[in-house]
Amino acid sequence: MSAQASKASEHYSSNPFWELVKVEGKLALREPIGIIFGVGLPVFLLIIFGSIPAFRQTVPGTTLSTFEVYIPILMITVLIFIGLFGLPIPIARDREIGWLRRISTTPVSPTKILAAQVTINLVLAAISFAILTAGGVFFFGVKGPSEILGFALSIVLATIAMFSLGLLIAALAPSQGVAGGMAQGLLYPLLFFAGIYVPMQFLPGHLQTISNFTPVGAAVQALGSSMQGTFPSIIPLLVMAVYAVFFGFVAARYFRWE
Amino acid sequence: MIDTENLTKKFGNLNPINKATGQKSVVTVNHLRKQYGTTVAVDDVSFSIAEGEIFGIIGPNGAGKTTAVECISGLRVPDSGSATVYDLNPRDDREELRKRVGVQLQESLLPPRIKVGEALELFASFYPRPLDPNDLLESLGIAQKRNAKFKQLSGGQKQRLSIALALIGNPKIAILDELTTGLDPEARRETWELIERIRDRGVTVILVTHYMDEAERLCDRLALINHGKVVALDTPAALAAREGGGARMQFVPSGPVDDKVLTALPGVTSVEHKGRRIVVVGSGDLTTQVLYALLNVGVHASDVQVENGSLEDAFVKLTQTDDNARKHEVGLQ
Repeated sequence: MSAQASKASEHYSSNPFWELVKVEGKLALREPIGIIFGVGLPVFLLIIFGSIPAFRQTVPGTTLSTFEVYIPILMITVLIFIGLFGLPIPIARDREIGWLRRISTTPVSPTKILAAQVTINLVLAAISFAILTAGGVFFFGVKGPSEILGFALSIVLATIAMFSLGLLIAALAPSQGVAGGMAQGLLYPLLFFAGIYVPMQFLPGHLQTISNFTPVGAAVQALGSSMQGTFPSIIPLLVMAVYAVFFGFVAARYFRWE
Repeated sequence: MIDTENLTKKFGNLNPINKATGQKSVVTVNHLRKQYGTTVAVDDVSFSIAEGEIFGIIGPNGAGKTTAVECISGLRVPDSGSATVYDLNPRDDREELRKRVGVQLQESLLPPRIKVGEALELFASFYPRPLDPNDLLESLGIAQKRNAKFKQLSGGQKQRLSIALALIGNPKIAILDELTTGLDPEARRETWELIERIRDRGVTVILVTHYMDEAERLCDRLALINHGKVVALDTPAALAAREGGGARMQFVPSGPVDDKVLTALPGVTSVEHKGRRIVVVGSGDLTTQVLYALLNVGVHASDVQVENGSLEDAFVKLTQTDDNARKHEVGLQ
């Protein structure tokens, strides 16, 4: 038996965290609903919007075309689907079926399974951002963001805020079904305030104001100004940071392993 | 590497010897108490488990069996009292404890699309000296299901995988909670054989069950828990003999027997005639005593049948007696 054990330990001396990332990643690929909506839908919309001639006209009062206005909105759409579905649904499921509890009977802390889910979804978001940016620039003649630092800061803050929202849903929902319900309820308001239906620039001022104080509206605003070459103003950055801290704090406070 | 000397300094002797039996005791539970809100799950539970035994925890649903083993495995923190495993405290020595204790949880599923092999290799990566996943699957008879997804497995196969996950870390102690619930009779039998094989490899097994046949067949010793307290603690045979209505012996005598010859024997509680047969009920070494007494009066017994008291009867009697005592106590208050 000891010979068997030592032979095995040579072979399986792999890092538990990366093993978790590998397995949870495979599971995500086998149930690719998060991938279809998190990557597929924004890319699909990029192609549709990029093919509409009218979207090439410059929006009055900006240096951007309608299509370019939509690039940050599509990026935030990625984060909405990942934050509402891709991240919290598997966590809620793993808790509901007792998988998290099962992991907590091993020497490995179940926080690693959360970290693995966050890692997988970060990779997913990064792939989507890369496709949207590269696709827009190389296929549809979008000018890349001229304020790179502001753009990067905005997308990082937006990602943290929306991932915190995902963890908050996972923390508050007692089951996978409730998590799905909460996500469905938040989906359309968030898509609306991100401007996927009609960009905020084209809507009345009071709706714009409300949008600016949502995490998604603030993100689109900050990304939009970076694309026009101005460093984003402090308010949208602050709004995202406050949401990130608030969601993260409440999630940590109420998260249950079973 | 484990520095034993340091551990001994820190935690005391790692291998305490049970003074009563001379065996190493690997789990010690001392006046354990755990309450959820106003519900007392475990009131006062104490026992110790010797190395290499199959220790059964039986009791009615909601008696506190699961909570007790959850405290042992460190999943729950007791309100008072203690549960120590190899002198490790489940709360403070979390990681060290989990390396040595493999746990199979009641009603814990795996993600539906995870493959059998993936789950085992994942768990193997959690432990410093795991068993070989392929060998383990082979010995559990589910090697052919290596590439099957969890949702495609039958109930019995899911249980085997669950046992495999509890054993992959090469633990010294395995905690198995309601292992055979929902399995068909054949799968139950196979699971029992499996548990005996686990013990033969030197693993101490803590088995939570509410099936008396399972407890009788597998366990070296049993703790019967009712309303969060240990009501009885003994071997299955001793419990059955003492509390299960005693042994029942039937025979056909070669000639007439005076009942007094039999009723005078110590431990005999009743003597009945059923046609030519005599039925003697009692406890202790009934058969030898009766046969010896018959020989003394020159009678031979033929067609002898002996039934021992059943654990099932012992279980019902002990829990009912305990329940009645409780009702009485409540009535007095």
